[in-house]
Amino acid sequence: MRTALTVLGVIIGVASVVIMVSLGIGLNQLMLEMYSSYGDMTTISIFSNARYSDSGSDSDPMYLTDEVMEQFKHLDHVTGVSPMLSCYALFKQGVYETSIDITGVSQEYLEKIPLGQGQAPKEGDPMKLIYGNSVIQWFRNSKTGKGYWDTMELPDVDFMDKPMFVIFDMDAYYQSQGGGENAPKPPKKYMVETAGVVEGGVDDYNSYAYSVYTEIEGLKAQLKKIFKKKPIPNQPTNKKGKPYPYFIYDNAVVFVDDMANVTEVQKVINDMGYQANSQMEWIEQSQQTYDIIQLVLGGIGAISLFVAAIGIANTMMMSIYERTKEIGVIKVLGCDMGNIRNMFLMESGFIGFLGGVIGLMISFGVSYAMNNFLGLGQAMMGVEGDISRIPLWLAASGVVFAVFVGMAAGFFPSLRAMKLSPLAAIRNE
Amino acid sequence: MGEGKKTDALEDKVCQGSDSDPLKKRTPIIEVKNLYKIYKVGETKVYALGGVDFTMYRGEFCAIVGPSGSGKSTLLNMLAGLEKPSKGEIVIDKVHIEKMKENELVAFRRKRVGFIFQSYNLLKTLNAVENVALPLSFRGMPRKKRNEIARKYLKLVGLEKQMDHMANAMSGGQQQRVGIARALAVKPRIIFADEPTGNLDSKTTMEILKLMRKIVREQEQTLVMVTHDNHLASYADRQFHIVDGKIFKIEECHHHQEEEIEG
Repeated sequence: MRTALTVLGVIIGVASVVIMVSLGIGLNQLMLEMYSSYGDMTTISIFSNARYSDSGSDSDPMYLTDEVMEQFKHLDHVTGVSPMLSCYALFKQGVYETSIDITGVSQEYLEKIPLGQGQAPKEGDPMKLIYGNSVIQWFRNSKTGKGYWDTMELPDVDFMDKPMFVIFDMDAYYQSQGGGENAPKPPKKYMVETAGVVEGGVDDYNSYAYSVYTEIEGLKAQLKKIFKKKPIPNQPTNKKGKPYPYFIYDNAVVFVDDMANVTEVQKVINDMGYQANSQMEWIEQSQQTYDIIQLVLGGIGAISLFVAAIGIANTMMMSIYERTKEIGVIKVLGCDMGNIRNMFLMESGFIGFLGGVIGLMISFGVSYAMNNFLGLGQAMMGVEGDISRIPLWLAASGVVFAVFVGMAAGFFPSLRAMKLSPLAAIRNE
Repeated sequence: MGEGKKTDALEDKVCQGSDSDPLKKRTPIIEVKNLYKIYKVGETKVYALGGVDFTMYRGEFCAIVGPSGSGKSTLLNMLAGLEKPSKGEIVIDKVHIEKMKENELVAFRRKRVGFIFQSYNLLKTLNAVENVALPLSFRGMPRKKRNEIARKYLKLVGLEKQMDHMANAMSGGQQQRVGIARALAVKPRIIFADEPTGNLDSKTTMEILKLMRKIVREQEQTLVMVTHDNHLASYADRQFHIVDGKIFKIEECHHHQEEEIEG
């Protein structure tokens, strides 16, 4: 009975530690999942300051060019590089139209985009577009001038099966729209094939949802073809106001082999003089916060385990008092002192083990209940997912720790038993 | 101080037809020299034993007799290595035990000594066989072998039918027989018995006493029994009378064969 109560104490202690730590882990992982839904965590976005602010210095501005891309590619831990070049264009299908950026990215980048429909274009394919799953919201009816946000009805736009016409030369388009008799002819429309649509429903947010992507070399070729000698919009000019003979990218993305190396690579790129950003900055910050939360939660659990340890020590003391005579007798009969100590250590270790195992089972039960019936994950983080997670290492270390606590609590009582005088046994009461 | 008195007390008194020759042939097993045990109670020193010398021989049945508080139990405890002497030497089987550390003493008891207690001190949670086999298990003997030995000794003490009884389901006499079997099972050179019949009625007392003496004789073991009862002590080969921590006299009695003085 007394042992059962002691075990109960250990059960509660272990269960509270495991549940608290599992909550900490769950919160942490939910956070990671949340961030990864915003974008790939192993990518670093790079901007050039020179792109937006003219420093006016004599040296060449630090533009992101193919040459720079090549440098990035050779950094340690970098698995790939994608320059990003966007150009504003008008999309038209039937009565619906919209103007958005087309972002040119590398083949590698395209292949990372999760597609709900279609397939990523293969290398060497003619220019094809990948639409974000929410892009459809931007289309407006050119006759009524109303779009999705006015009517809350999805425009009747079909990326996959109906042709999409794209006008790249926006200046010429606006001039032609300007009215008047001497308005120039509207620029040429191009029919561009659709490669695919990003995974997810219209309202599901992800980092690709509102953009249109294409393979960058194809985009560059297309732009050269359209603008010929005219300056390509959005490309900077040199001091004499002439465009550069090569493309200058708006920004770039670097892929890193592992999350752990992201910060390091980011620092190197920053040192090179570019602006590098990644999810890791945010993650590291919030990870610190969650580490503290986990520590506090674990601490609360540890207190109850500590109380349980005192309970074990107390039980062992009592049982040694009760068995003083037996201990003495076996000592007189020649039982090794080490054996006596081990006997009691085993007993207290077993109390710890039993409590640990049952406590763990209860933890799994409580964890299951929290995840499936309470919807705490949704309430606290706004993300779908399990808030309490018990990985294998936590389960294993929970039991091991309980055994350890049991034996530690039983250590001094067992020493006491070992040192008991055998005289106490043969003294007649 | 006590030197003069001690020599007086050492004169052996012979009570029945003694043959003095065997004394020299017999091998000493317990030798005690000038043994003191002093307790400190506050400022004053209490002499539980005040200088004791004697020798016990192999195959002998010795009784240590004295009134309560005479120091006889203290003497037994020290012989068994349960208490440390304040001064003096104890040589058992040619080994000095007064300087041994506690774990050495445990090993010493395990190898050479058997114990019979007044209150039997059987483990209540074990049955008779397991109780007898217990000290054998401390020697690391495998279960099957030690249970076999335990059964043999239980038969010897006449408990064939109670082998599987739990310790507390037996009468006092039966329990003490288990206790004797337990002491014998390890085949010790010496068996210490502290008031072994103190909790038994007179009829059982006689049975137990005769049993002990018979077995000890057969196996050539030394039995040291502590008692306050002069009558019980008279069953021994020699009686060491202790009064106030000193040996008052040593009486030698020879009981011829198995015929008893009284029934």
